[in-house]
Amino acid sequence: MEFVMNIILSSVRMATPLIFLALAELYSQRAGLVHIGLEGLASIGSLVGFLVSLITGSPMLGVLAGAAVGILVNMIFAYATVTLCAEQIVYGMAINIFAPALAAFIYRVYFGAGSELVQVGLMNTLSGSLGITSDNFLVRLLLDQTPMVYLAYGLVIFTVIYFNRTKSGLNYKAVGEYPKAAATLGINVIGVKYLACVICGALAGIGGAYLTTCYANTYVDGNVAGRGFIALAAVIFGRWSGAGVLLACLFFGFCDALQIRLQVSSFGVPYQFFQMIPYVATVVVLASIGMKKAGPKSSGKPYLKEER
Amino acid sequence: MKKLLALLLALAMCLSLAACGGTDTDTSGGDTSGEDAGGDASGEATYRVAMICDSSISDGGWGMSCYNAMVDAAEAYGWETEVSDSIAQSAYYDTIVSYCDLGYDLIYAPGNQYTDAVLQAAEEYPDVAFALLNGGEDTPAQAVNGNVTSLLPNAQQVGWIAGALAGLMTQTGTIAFIGGMELDTTLGKYQGYQEAAAYVGEQEGKTVTTLDIVYSGDFSATDKGIEFAKAMIDQGSDVFFGDASAVDSGARQAIDEANAANGSVTIYDIAQPSDLLGQNECIIGSQVTDNASLVGLCMQAVEDGSFGGEVIYGTLQNGALATGALSDLVPEDIQTKYLDYLNQMVDGTFMQ
Amino acid sequence: MKNSGKLVSFLVPIISILLAFIIGCIIMAVLGANPFVALESLWIGAFGSLRNVGTTLARSTPLIFTSLCACFAYRCGVFNLGGEGQFLMGSIVCCYIATQSGIEGLPAILLCLVGGAVAGGVWSLIAGLLKVYRGQNEMIITIMLNYVATLFMGVVYTNWLRDGSVPQTQAVPDATQLSRLFGLRVTSAFVIALVVGLLVYYFLFYTSKGFQLRAVGLNMTAAEFNGFAVKKYILMSFIVSGAIAGLGGSAELLGTQFRLINGFGNGYGFDGVAMALIGQLHPIATILVAIFFAALRVGSTTMQAATGVPTSVCDIIQALVIVFTVAGLAMVKLPGFKAFLGRLTERRKEAA
Repeated sequence: MEFVMNIILSSVRMATPLIFLALAELYSQRAGLVHIGLEGLASIGSLVGFLVSLITGSPMLGVLAGAAVGILVNMIFAYATVTLCAEQIVYGMAINIFAPALAAFIYRVYFGAGSELVQVGLMNTLSGSLGITSDNFLVRLLLDQTPMVYLAYGLVIFTVIYFNRTKSGLNYKAVGEYPKAAATLGINVIGVKYLACVICGALAGIGGAYLTTCYANTYVDGNVAGRGFIALAAVIFGRWSGAGVLLACLFFGFCDALQIRLQVSSFGVPYQFFQMIPYVATVVVLASIGMKKAGPKSSGKPYLKEER
Repeated sequence: MKKLLALLLALAMCLSLAACGGTDTDTSGGDTSGEDAGGDASGEATYRVAMICDSSISDGGWGMSCYNAMVDAAEAYGWETEVSDSIAQSAYYDTIVSYCDLGYDLIYAPGNQYTDAVLQAAEEYPDVAFALLNGGEDTPAQAVNGNVTSLLPNAQQVGWIAGALAGLMTQTGTIAFIGGMELDTTLGKYQGYQEAAAYVGEQEGKTVTTLDIVYSGDFSATDKGIEFAKAMIDQGSDVFFGDASAVDSGARQAIDEANAANGSVTIYDIAQPSDLLGQNECIIGSQVTDNASLVGLCMQAVEDGSFGGEVIYGTLQNGALATGALSDLVPEDIQTKYLDYLNQMVDGTFMQ
Repeated sequence: MKNSGKLVSFLVPIISILLAFIIGCIIMAVLGANPFVALESLWIGAFGSLRNVGTTLARSTPLIFTSLCACFAYRCGVFNLGGEGQFLMGSIVCCYIATQSGIEGLPAILLCLVGGAVAGGVWSLIAGLLKVYRGQNEMIITIMLNYVATLFMGVVYTNWLRDGSVPQTQAVPDATQLSRLFGLRVTSAFVIALVVGLLVYYFLFYTSKGFQLRAVGLNMTAAEFNGFAVKKYILMSFIVSGAIAGLGGSAELLGTQFRLINGFGNGYGFDGVAMALIGQLHPIATILVAIFFAALRVGSTTMQAATGVPTSVCDIIQALVIVFTVAGLAMVKLPGFKAFLGRLTERRKEAA
């Protein structure tokens, strides 16, 4: 029982950055933009979040700065793919090469050739701020979390309501499904796509900043460690719905947590097989659902205004 | 035209981003770069050493200590230093070779995992000296040109130094070890740690078991360090030792968090390979390896033209291994006992 | 009009490279280094001596393979982003044959190369089948399969084919390694890469099958209407491009790395795609771009040592080249830009 409860706690911990990144991807894809550059956005967000929280001493400001830099870098993606109609996947890849290089460079330049370990204060957990200490499982699960965790779940609920229950959300989805029809209805397609890029950049930046303001108190190059692509997998595995994405992230987080625990208890199967689960699951899902249900219909396709 | 303008704007944005990073330097890093450029222009005659490292040199552990050791030694001998850190295993050889091509006199590779890359490069560059920290005993003999020296701190004694302290300090009777890559030297440290803790525990009238060794597989995976440590704390472990660079830093963070949640420091960490007391609350002591003097010996040999083919051992007896300062968390009587055990290790009577 | 279009698409990468370098120089200047000295040392590091040229060509070899893989697939309208996974699967099979079969020498080399190519082709075919029969986006599938291949390689070198104390496989026997050219670091793998490039070029532009394949890539519906076996061509392009990458994986293992280790092949797939795009999907241009990128990587270490400019500046320059070229190429395809260009040429005609 102890083992199960610990795994649940650790799954929640590991799922949170995935949720931010997966929501970033979801908002992007719902507007018809497939974005594989989350890894890059998160890496620059994580560095800037780290630096800002180090300088100001406020992890909250770090998260905000992470969001800001995510938006800024994602505007390159937005301009190239929405306005210039460049191939989205290729541009996402370009972001993946550009942003981590920039992050590594800024880190190297800011800290010079120094070799000291730089540690920042992490964001307080709710129970920490309230001064509650308890070993009770439910208390730890529900209260011993940073505000960012509540924000992540709040955003999931918001997303579900927004896309299913609001007019604006339906319009947003229409842009990803039938952009031309949406345009004839008077929806500003280009505007929505840019908005999507702002949301995506902000969420991906927050997801990255989470790693250095709430999770680890140090920064290392490559600390995003493939989470951007797992998030992409989570969106597909969660079938492009808010609730589905949440479950996918929790499941992938669980796989990761299980993998760590099994290594500690010297379980015989190579741990890499557990790490493969998200990717294999995605391929299997895609293979089984067929094209018609595979996400927003005009996802990945450029929208040329002139063709109207 | 409008589009061109917009493109320029995007360009300007990239620039300003880059410039942001740039302006920061002038205060902190600007000096160093100027120095490097100046040094290069003035001195062909000075000796130069380059270090390669798979972890970051600001990892607060292995990479940092090894880098500082090189810098200290270089200062003492008047050498110039250069470093490439955070490089992948597949890039070891390429990086070493670029430094050889640049005419560096000594390549310092701090880790057993560099053995194959060093041997390969040593064969092609007979005039370059290679110092392999934690190299195997037979590695220098394998080098055709006799230009490889192993610096070999005794892994068992390293383990003992930490294990004796762990055995004395554990309350739960369970201790843990986190490894990075699955190296022989790492395993040697683990075994020394395990046997010393068990022996000391027995002397004190308690059973001390060490959890099975876990490997992060990657020296930069701080997040794995956090998760491993949390999992091992859940299994009751209350003293940690490790050999995994940035992963150790992650583990220390998790231990600090667990201590903070308990309200008092009851879970401890032992650091290596330099004195890291005070870096984290949970660090009660350090196993210290005097890498600087080992590297210094190599530099001396290069200057004398006598470099090559040696195994330079680092032991408690010759002073290359030691223990660092102990924290106040270690009670007086235990400190005395610990120093006793250390003396036994030096005399060769430990576990006899 | 047609000629000016060609000229523009030729100019885009050139202008992008210039822009990227200008930005790189500005960054260096802000860091307090002299950009011209830095560029000079970059050049010397990459092409300054015969030995350095050899290193650059050696480093470009795997990139040539993966970029040709992307180039071939894209010509057929298949966005194969799985170059890395196919490269790795090729090298895994190659490693198995080279170290476990007991065969050595030329027969082993041939068997390894063929085995690697087959493995790459089969791995790529998975994505091909899912695209053709399930209508799925091949880009997402190939990205996912890259990760599966990387993790699978991890299992191979940490468990199944592990050798010795470090997580890595046994080295390829000496007799099975590809020979070096003129004593430089570049091996016959580079020659194989060039031959593959020429074959791809010949096939695409001088055979009827190649013409049909390009027709499928230009307009799938029209090709189908003309009675071309579109599905067959798509599957073929998956298999062939995967085989090229797999062959590259084998050649890299036999020529440079000799064993599977952590970080092997990391990033080559995406790099290859970028290079193919910058090379305008022309096999020969693609090879040149791959050599250019390799030169940046090799030269960056020399630059860091000489001027103190961190190597990551070169990464940024590379990324900017990609960012600008892809955006530029998309821009010239926009109807608005075409009209602008049309007006420009018309005006020139009027003037004449």
